[in-house]
Amino acid sequence: MEFLFEQFITGLSIGSILLIVALGLSIIYGSMGVINMAHGEFIMLGAYGAWALKAYAGISLFPSLIIIFIATALLGALIERGVIRYLYRRPIDTILATWGIGVMLQQLVRLTAGGELRYVEMPPSLAATVDIFGVDVSAYRVFIIIAGAALFAATWMLVNKTTIGMQLRAVVQDRSIATAFGINASTIYTGTFAYGAGLAGLAGALVAPLKSVSPEMGTGYVVDAFFVVVLGGVQSLFGTVASSVLLGQLSGVLAYWQNDTVAKALVLVGIVILIRFRPQGLFVTRVRT
Amino acid sequence: MMSKRTMRQVFVYGAVCLAILLLPMLINDDFLLNRFARYLVLAMVSMALALSWGYAGILNLGQAMSFGLGSYCMAMALKLRTIPVHTGSEGLPDFMVWNNVEALPWFWKPFYSMPFAIAAGIIGPMIVSAILAWFMFRGRVTGVYVAIITLATLVVVNLVIIDQQWATGGFNGITDLAQLELFGITFDAYSATTYYLIAICLTVCLFLALAVTKSKAGLILQAIRDQEDRVRFFGYDVALFKTMVFCVSAGIAGLAGMLYTIVMEFASPTFLGVQLSLSIVIWCAVGGRQSLVGALLGAILVAGMQGALSESEVFLDTWTLVMGALFVLVVLFLPNGIASLGEKLAEKFGSRRRAAAEPAKRGNAISRSTKLAEGK
Repeated sequence: MEFLFEQFITGLSIGSILLIVALGLSIIYGSMGVINMAHGEFIMLGAYGAWALKAYAGISLFPSLIIIFIATALLGALIERGVIRYLYRRPIDTILATWGIGVMLQQLVRLTAGGELRYVEMPPSLAATVDIFGVDVSAYRVFIIIAGAALFAATWMLVNKTTIGMQLRAVVQDRSIATAFGINASTIYTGTFAYGAGLAGLAGALVAPLKSVSPEMGTGYVVDAFFVVVLGGVQSLFGTVASSVLLGQLSGVLAYWQNDTVAKALVLVGIVILIRFRPQGLFVTRVRT
Repeated sequence: MMSKRTMRQVFVYGAVCLAILLLPMLINDDFLLNRFARYLVLAMVSMALALSWGYAGILNLGQAMSFGLGSYCMAMALKLRTIPVHTGSEGLPDFMVWNNVEALPWFWKPFYSMPFAIAAGIIGPMIVSAILAWFMFRGRVTGVYVAIITLATLVVVNLVIIDQQWATGGFNGITDLAQLELFGITFDAYSATTYYLIAICLTVCLFLALAVTKSKAGLILQAIRDQEDRVRFFGYDVALFKTMVFCVSAGIAGLAGMLYTIVMEFASPTFLGVQLSLSIVIWCAVGGRQSLVGALLGAILVAGMQGALSESEVFLDTWTLVMGALFVLVVLFLPNGIASLGEKLAEKFGSRRRAAAEPAKRGNAISRSTKLAEGK
């Protein structure tokens, strides 16, 4: 029983990281149809932001989250205005263009901050472990699980309960009619992309204490995040949550049963088969056409 | 009857191939020849991608899978031909001895025969690709999802090869290989002989690919690229055509992989890495995805510049930055790559083809926007 619970917590912890990482991608892909291959680099920038703010300005992790969110969001807005907006009619080319941007961001960081691994300290208040039903869990992992839930709740509220969210949903449904009703679609798109980029930055800062920070760290994340989004269904935020929990548990179990590499390969094979038979995702019941 | 356009194409393609074949007359440096031979191999893969991506609209992010499989086939055959110095009994490859493998695995055994290895290096990737393509295209998987599936498959194959160290050499790959011997000719990696072998293969593949695009099947493929449903309504088996071109592309990539092993004198998991696979897409996009010779020259240009600048550390760093920027700019302003510049020039001297091409383009844009509206 205790063992099962421990496995469950491990899976949940992997899942919550996946969720945080995938949320930004989900909102950009789901509403704009843009596959942002530079997503991983935004995560990497967030992680470097956390490191740099601590190392040079002495700001600890929690206050720096706000700065990181704003900074990466601004960068996202800039990229949307400069590049992405010219490619809405060529969705496949967004993969290429954003990948090019990702390469540049990665190289810029490598040139300025150096290629060596960096480490971000955990906030001292969360360095301990907590006891949940007799299982010792790192407090920071619990914090990540809560943060994931909170970020998801905030995003869901933003999309479903605010005027901006309503405008976004209108633009996604029918851009020209939404525009006819006086919604500025291009501003909405810029805002969405900026928000998604900001979320990626936050994700990077949040996972930084758990992993080492390097210019290449984003590549792995973007692949994982993408699979979460595809598995969950493109236009469904709840699907993203469900699939990240599912994938988290699955990787946890498979990694216990086999080694990490085989676990990863098996998950990928599963996803490939799934895309083939349910391209709309696991958790979408109704697809708008 | 060849049209004027086809004649011009054949002329340009022939000129490029001739230039490639005549290059060793100007260069006497074996080291430099080896390097050019490498670029030619990469150009071959890039050209193979243009065939499936530019002509049939299949963005294969896993092109390196076929390349790597071909490369391993050749490496296995050449490994079994090494003079046994550090090997176990009956010439067991060295890395197997280190991994405590007692006997040669059964799937290594056929590679004692060179004809089998060469056939496996081409047909093997074709079979794998055929299964994958059949799996995807029967299910009418299109666009972005094709890109994801091919990428995921590549990662899986890569993971498996790294993981099964006892049979594949793991991270280190297969090193310390013999030189290829065919018909009494030894192909030293640093020699004009190997260069000619590669140049001839490239020429043959280029014209084979050109023939595919000029055939009726090639026309149907282009129609599929532009408006898949319409072709299906005409009664063509879209999946079959797509599978066919996917396999041809994989076969060329497999052959290129084998040649790469000969030039590099080893095989490594990086040959089927995500990095290489995405680089192939870049070369193809920069050169021109809708032009075979464009994609070919794009690879030589980009990989060549990278190679030339890699001698200095500083240049290499900034080069990556420049390459990223170049790539973004090409995608934005020259969706059909550098080759479209050449096309535009040719058009100025050509006929009224521009007028004929324009409505097709517009139709394309409309179909894309309806697809967007349908939420695809």
